[in-house]
Amino acid sequence: MSNEFPAGVNRRNLLKLTAAAGMVAGAGILTSRTAFAGEEFSLKGKRIGISTAGTDHFFDLQAYNAQIEEVKRLGGEPIAVDAGRNDGKLVSQLQTLIAQKPDAIVQLLGTVSVIDPWLKKARDAGIPVLTIDVGTTNSINNSTSDNWAIGKDLALQLVSDIGGEGNIVVFNGFYGVTPCAIRYDQLVNVIKYFPKVQIIQPELRDVIPNTVQDAFTQITAILNKYPEKGSIKAIWSAWDIPQLGATQALTSAGRTEIKTYGVDGSPEVLQLVADANSPASGNVAQQPAELGRTAIRNVARHLAGGTLPRESYVPALLANKENVGEISKKLGIG
Amino acid sequence: MSVDTSYLSPPLDGSLPSARRSADTPKPALSRKLAVVALRQGSLAVFIGVLVYFSIAAPFFLSVGNIGNVLGQSAIAGVLAIGLTVVIIAGGSNVVTGGIDLSLAANMGLSAAVYASLVQAGHGDVVAVLGALGTGLLIGAVNALAITLAGIVPLLATLAVMNVVAGLELVLTQNTVVPASTEFLSTLSASGPFGIPVLAYVLLGFTALATAVVQYTPLGLRLYAVGEFPEAARAAGLRVKAFIAGAFLASGLCGGFAGILSVSYLSGSTTGAGDMLLPVVVTALLGSVFSRRLVPTIGGTLLATLFVSFLINGFQLLNISSTLVSGVQGLLILLVVSATTLLQRKGSQ
Repeated sequence: MSNEFPAGVNRRNLLKLTAAAGMVAGAGILTSRTAFAGEEFSLKGKRIGISTAGTDHFFDLQAYNAQIEEVKRLGGEPIAVDAGRNDGKLVSQLQTLIAQKPDAIVQLLGTVSVIDPWLKKARDAGIPVLTIDVGTTNSINNSTSDNWAIGKDLALQLVSDIGGEGNIVVFNGFYGVTPCAIRYDQLVNVIKYFPKVQIIQPELRDVIPNTVQDAFTQITAILNKYPEKGSIKAIWSAWDIPQLGATQALTSAGRTEIKTYGVDGSPEVLQLVADANSPASGNVAQQPAELGRTAIRNVARHLAGGTLPRESYVPALLANKENVGEISKKLGIG
Repeated sequence: MSVDTSYLSPPLDGSLPSARRSADTPKPALSRKLAVVALRQGSLAVFIGVLVYFSIAAPFFLSVGNIGNVLGQSAIAGVLAIGLTVVIIAGGSNVVTGGIDLSLAANMGLSAAVYASLVQAGHGDVVAVLGALGTGLLIGAVNALAITLAGIVPLLATLAVMNVVAGLELVLTQNTVVPASTEFLSTLSASGPFGIPVLAYVLLGFTALATAVVQYTPLGLRLYAVGEFPEAARAAGLRVKAFIAGAFLASGLCGGFAGILSVSYLSGSTTGAGDMLLPVVVTALLGSVFSRRLVPTIGGTLLATLFVSFLINGFQLLNISSTLVSGVQGLLILLVVSATTLLQRKGSQ
């Protein structure tokens, strides 16, 4: 490869130009960001309720913490509550939040049928409600990954990996949670066109808590029921903690020919995908911290009188055996 | 008539009445009495202190709306804890050999699932209410039979029933949320007079009813007698087993009732009802420190329920991380229960 550059621009000059351009661009971004934060998007003097179904999962914790930090960065006061995966506690916290009359409430995850009446009460009380991964008409804006794309990409990866035929095991315990329902529906939509792919019935129910242990137990039982190699081709779940338990069960039973798939991009699962000997074959990594920040910026925009789209999508990244290193680096966990 | 058997001055483990010992060793009895008074007054002082602190630190804490919310949020746990209190009164306060109902939270979960499933199947509220209460009563009856007829220790009998009931709930719901929405449920979960949740009124009404029956009737007096002096109660002609069976039936009914409240609160039946067991047990035991003789009472249980709820609410309002809330809550309960246990041990020496 030649080291020559166009006349008048040698390597040192190019580096200087690049550095200068970078500084100008950086300053520009900083200026525009500061201007945004200082004027249009400031949350100064605002109290923002941040409610989450739980923080026991990588995704939840990242999104939750990012919201708190973003509210503080924009000058607001976060009122953050974590329900610890307990529906009763979640409802109690929402009640208490509503009674405090914050300037807005952001709800992260939760079963729609349980929380929706309380989101409606918040809306009726004049408190703007925004959500992350909750599909409800009581929310002004829902920040989410494109779950249709996630579901389709994961399903296509699965079907491709198993050569378009074979039995698959599906965890479908949280169809009441909107993103899980969309991902599952997309799986069904894809395999409809691959008639030789069959979901083993009955489908499995993933549970909270003890998800890993429970998935391990359920998959071990299924393996005993289908002892022949090739009788199961893959295991699918709408998030990656059941995938973790399933992968461990397969490794433990020596059935590593079966491939596992999930969503969320937890570091431990991406490490398994990166392991050439692991059955973990695909995982769609979301960007939870970015989802959290997006939701808070949307709150700021709304409170400043701006209009919001019904849904704000944050890109998700499909990791497989080939690209997992690159994806992990992008997510900053590589 | 108020049921207060303090004139009997019984030690809580059922050993010889302290009146007899007090003639020989007056000092320990007096010091224990003082310690009991100190613990009781101290507990009330801590409760009031906590309320005062939160009122100052979080001005919103003492608002009518917030107090109403806390009362409403306490309704399910309160009803369950009152059911457990009745069992502890009738069976004695020794958790291992005395009265305990570990199936209560699972009972609530299954009753709620039955209610929500009946609504989903197109039945009305009347059928669903009867279904939930019937489920609770049936679970109470199984407990009663296992304990009074088969002679199984309540701890083990109710533990076994708890597992069966939790399994039935899983079968019925497939471990998923079963949504339910009816006018009756909406009324229950709405706000009542003064903007206070209807569930708060339900809790206060239910507590008043239970207090009237347990603390102010001959039935309640006999219930205490059966729990504290079973031999004496038997000698006096009381049908001890019938009273214990009745207590488990009442407890089962409380489980069914709490199931209905849970469906209204959560807009259906949800998973994880079993998580309520330990808080309910702890609340019922904690209630003793609010009684004159450190024995379980309905009023004491209500105070304990509200104490825990206000504590959680105060932490929320002060924006303290929920990871700390559980720890501080556990520490406080450990301190109070330890003090109670030490006093009981001292009293029995």
